[in-house]
Amino acid sequence: MKFTIEVGRYNPEGNYDASAVAGTAYPPPWDKAPPRRYQSYNVDLPEHAVVLDALIAIREYQDESVAVRCACRSAICGSCAMWINGHSHLACKSKLAEFTKNGKTRVETPPSMPVIRDLVADMTPFWQKHLAVKPWLQGKKPEPPPMEEYRVPNSAMEELIQEVSCISCGCCLMDCESFAVNENFLGPHALAKAYRYAADPRDALTKERLGEYSAPGGIWDCTHCYECVTQCPKGVAPLEQILKLRKMAVDAGFTHNAGTRHADAFADSVKHSGRLNELTLLPKSVGFFNIVDQLKTLPSAFNMIRAGKLPPIIHKSIPGVQRIKNIFARVGGRFK
Amino acid sequence: MTLDHDVVVLGAGLAGMRAALEAARHGANVAIVTKVHPIRSHSNAAQGGINAALGEGDSWESHAFDTIKGSDYLADQDAVEVMCREAPADIVEFEHMGVIFYRNEDGKLGTRAFGGASQARTYFVGDITGQALLYTLYDQILKAGVKVYEEWFATSFYVEEGACRGMVALEMITGELHLLRAKAVIDAAGGLGRLYEPSTNALICTGDGYALAYRAGAPLMDMEMVQFHPTTLAGSGFLMTEAARGEGGYLLNSLGERFMKKYAPNKMELAARDVCSRSETIEIAEGRGIDGNVLLDVRHLGKDVIFKRLPQIHEMAMDYLGIDLIKEPVPVRPGMHYQMGGVKTDADGATPLPGLYAAGEVACVSVHGGNRLGANSLLDTIVFGRHSGKVSAAYAKGVAATTGGDQLLRSEQARLKDLLARPYSGETHAGLRLELATTMDQRVGVFRDQAGLEDALGKVRALRKRYDNVAVGDKGRIFNQALTFALEVGFLLDCAETVVMSALERKESRGAQSRTDYPERNDAEWLKHIVLHYRGSNEPALSYLPVTITQWKPEARTY
Amino acid sequence: MKVAFWPGCVSKGACPELYVAANAIAEPLGLEMLELTEAPCTGAGVLSEQNPELADSLNGLTLAMAEAKGGALMTICSTCQGVLSKHNHRLKSDPSRLEKVNATIGDQGFRYGGTTEVKHMLWMLFEDIGIDRIKAAIKVKLTGLKIAPFYGCYILRPAEYLGLIERPERKTYLEQLIGLLGAEAVEYSGATKCCGFPMLTFNRDKSLAMGGNHILEAKDKGADLLVTPCPLCHLNLDGQQPDAARVLKKRLDVPIFHLPQLLGLAFGLSPKELRLDHHVVPTRGALEKVELKV
Repeated sequence: MKFTIEVGRYNPEGNYDASAVAGTAYPPPWDKAPPRRYQSYNVDLPEHAVVLDALIAIREYQDESVAVRCACRSAICGSCAMWINGHSHLACKSKLAEFTKNGKTRVETPPSMPVIRDLVADMTPFWQKHLAVKPWLQGKKPEPPPMEEYRVPNSAMEELIQEVSCISCGCCLMDCESFAVNENFLGPHALAKAYRYAADPRDALTKERLGEYSAPGGIWDCTHCYECVTQCPKGVAPLEQILKLRKMAVDAGFTHNAGTRHADAFADSVKHSGRLNELTLLPKSVGFFNIVDQLKTLPSAFNMIRAGKLPPIIHKSIPGVQRIKNIFARVGGRFK
Repeated sequence: MTLDHDVVVLGAGLAGMRAALEAARHGANVAIVTKVHPIRSHSNAAQGGINAALGEGDSWESHAFDTIKGSDYLADQDAVEVMCREAPADIVEFEHMGVIFYRNEDGKLGTRAFGGASQARTYFVGDITGQALLYTLYDQILKAGVKVYEEWFATSFYVEEGACRGMVALEMITGELHLLRAKAVIDAAGGLGRLYEPSTNALICTGDGYALAYRAGAPLMDMEMVQFHPTTLAGSGFLMTEAARGEGGYLLNSLGERFMKKYAPNKMELAARDVCSRSETIEIAEGRGIDGNVLLDVRHLGKDVIFKRLPQIHEMAMDYLGIDLIKEPVPVRPGMHYQMGGVKTDADGATPLPGLYAAGEVACVSVHGGNRLGANSLLDTIVFGRHSGKVSAAYAKGVAATTGGDQLLRSEQARLKDLLARPYSGETHAGLRLELATTMDQRVGVFRDQAGLEDALGKVRALRKRYDNVAVGDKGRIFNQALTFALEVGFLLDCAETVVMSALERKESRGAQSRTDYPERNDAEWLKHIVLHYRGSNEPALSYLPVTITQWKPEARTY
Repeated sequence: MKVAFWPGCVSKGACPELYVAANAIAEPLGLEMLELTEAPCTGAGVLSEQNPELADSLNGLTLAMAEAKGGALMTICSTCQGVLSKHNHRLKSDPSRLEKVNATIGDQGFRYGGTTEVKHMLWMLFEDIGIDRIKAAIKVKLTGLKIAPFYGCYILRPAEYLGLIERPERKTYLEQLIGLLGAEAVEYSGATKCCGFPMLTFNRDKSLAMGGNHILEAKDKGADLLVTPCPLCHLNLDGQQPDAARVLKKRLDVPIFHLPQLLGLAFGLSPKELRLDHHVVPTRGALEKVELKV
């Protein structure tokens, strides 16, 4: 079966084939990498062939100058993550027949990361963030006697296996919307790894970890967009790990942040009236004594008033609100 | 640039990183050179598990015997003893480092059965054990702050006055060649799967470590012992872990029979890999295959076991063949998987070339002899990685720094420049490699004979000549993969010659070497290792080494 | 067609124009909307992450109330849709969890049998109300308008809870609707991305930059307005637009319409009836293009 691949070429030495067509700039915030030149190739492959098959065929028989990282071909090494038709995927797991849109498939490095050459992205930000979460076990003392493993129940370890499936391909970071806008954000991959160590019962640094991950750039800089969960080829669900980290951090007492205040304000409002009171939610989340940030929200508050969009000053409870209060009393946890 | 270290490790897989970690712990200034990011190393593809006689009622002697029998008595028993005796401590160490091994209900590490083992002693993490170990080790490397030259491609070892003193490597991201000087070098560059087509191995497994050591003067041993894994996915050749059979899976022919009953009535599907591969090949050749494959059936294991213990192969069968293992059996066939042979070392990883150590798949200690048991390779990498790290660090203390190496750097620069300048001759490296790999698959596969092997040798040598004229299709400096691929094909060609020559020389069948013209094992004449030394443009020099026997006298090998 | 109607908190708070518009189009769409006046806030995902059990119970209560009314549970907010779908999935897939929740809400007089289907109005348009009915109700073709769809994360991801694997067409309903109403749908990468609202209180500038960038991209591609099925997105895209423009140092001035407002216009309702004069970013410019006056 015939397929057409459009490869996003980038060559720091400036050598391009005459047929490579200049691409348009990426819309912000996806504009960290320069626009590419797209070179089209045609391949003839079996109908179940994947994008990587096409790239290898191109590299071996048509154009040896196409640079692409690849090794295992079977979705375990994580080398071949790239943007395919505008979203991050593993090339070895992406069937050409499924990805062909308007007769072609477009591949390129993700524009939120710098590019080295052609399909080889500069993964330095990815590895820096990995290192930043202290991704190693600091074994609890006392260590078990020699020749003995830590005795922990299998059930405590089983849910960590989800993160152990991570192959560090970078698909999550490549499509992370928060990272695209904020390069200080540790990102889904690093935070999922952070959860794996924070929740490991054998680790001695849990409390320090949670404190560090609660700092700016950490767990509270995630915008909950679920792109990482959607794009992860291994079912790691990084966002879910971040949410678990958030709960762990708050439960451990790291509550001096907007994230905790926001959750508390939400819970308070729902508990008292059954509904969200936006009037108080914003100021409560920001923190009453956080004058600077409170002032920042004033202009938009005025705009809302002017447009007649201010919620009622007297926030009414819903009928039957006692039910809600009872539910909170029963399973409210720290929101009781 | 010229860089100086005490110990330089080539390869950042399990063996390489374990060696580097150990060398660092023993005070050496150590650096790792790796052509891919450490966690992209092929160790990540190992699935089933790692062996150790850690459990109650198990003994290292039992593990050692299984290994030696599995090797068809070609393994050096003193080295096997070291590996099996130290395995339990190494497993526990990895658990302390953070690996999330499978645990029983009582919180203690649990095991699964594996091929050729007299009792279950394979510790595992789902079916992603290699990945789990590799990541944990990488995390420890980060913690220890070991220097890694990432995406640096080694082009030549540096030998000075008969000792290995470092290497020249190409920094991919800039295109610059650098000289790394060392007091000791540890070769842990992994396997050579791309020598065969198909193979379970990654594209990066191109025999770099074998060829570099060989060209530097270290001997290669047992190169004919190429393992064909019994269950590789039809079509792609991807690995379907032995754990599928360890958990109770069946191998079926076209008649729906568990045919292993005929070949290994006791161990059935858990006989040693060479036995299984041969059996499958015979079934297929005798018309009881399905399109050149047999079937792996795990349906009876149930959804829970498959999702918890075999998730990766379930995903693979679904992704690449559209088959749901829970509902259907999957077609598999023997595929090239592992090289038992390699750079000859002792039990401390030392090669006969002073200053050069080797560990992992590239090394031949030999603990695997004629056939490797499943889950022994992961063990091999960490035990002998550790040994070579420790011993090379000690060795390095007694060696003075060198100021040489400039000449090698300049000659490598010239060599690469010439290679890049070669005009297009009509051939590509990819085409050459495919011809080579297809030849190896057809003539030097599960079953071999004189005529086929001679034909293969002729082909390999002819390809070698053609190789000298093939141009590199990319003249750029930055991240030139066409250039590194050209060098990799050169490595493969060197390896190929040693594999075929050794196979020709060994006139018997033992372990993975099955010759239809010499179908029996012949201890009287062939209980020895075949060794090859590089002689440049001349034919390699062939010699023998005895097999070290300690406790276990060779017996008939049945499963 | 009867539906159990969950308006969400925001349409009764900071986005009252949404509530008004939604009710105004019920009749042309043939919807009898039985409002769940006693159902609690879904928690918007915030409660779910801090206390999954609590969120299971609160949403279980809502699901049970809808079940008692019969018919689907219709939402008009992507976030409500996402949260309710997730908790519905949690309860439907784990009998022991459902039992626990029923024990809690049982004391409040309700029991969830696990049969409620949660559907956003956007989905119901195509799957239950039907294109023919919509076409029949159109009185004003919005020809000449270039409209950029903005879905909101919670109605697109994760695919499994939202039925997007079985019904991938749900990912294109906004574009289809825009076409149906006679306007041109603007194609731009921001359509499926995040408005930044969840981060507004954690990292204000980055949150506003996120939404602002999408508006900018749509504007550069010629959009006259954005339409969104989520009032939380609306809060960030419209309510905070002047601030977003300040953060980006770029002019925006792109009005943001709620889904029911767009439908209402096409059904011949006046902009005033749809409270299109109660937005932070004036809608006048877009309306004038189709000769409507606010």
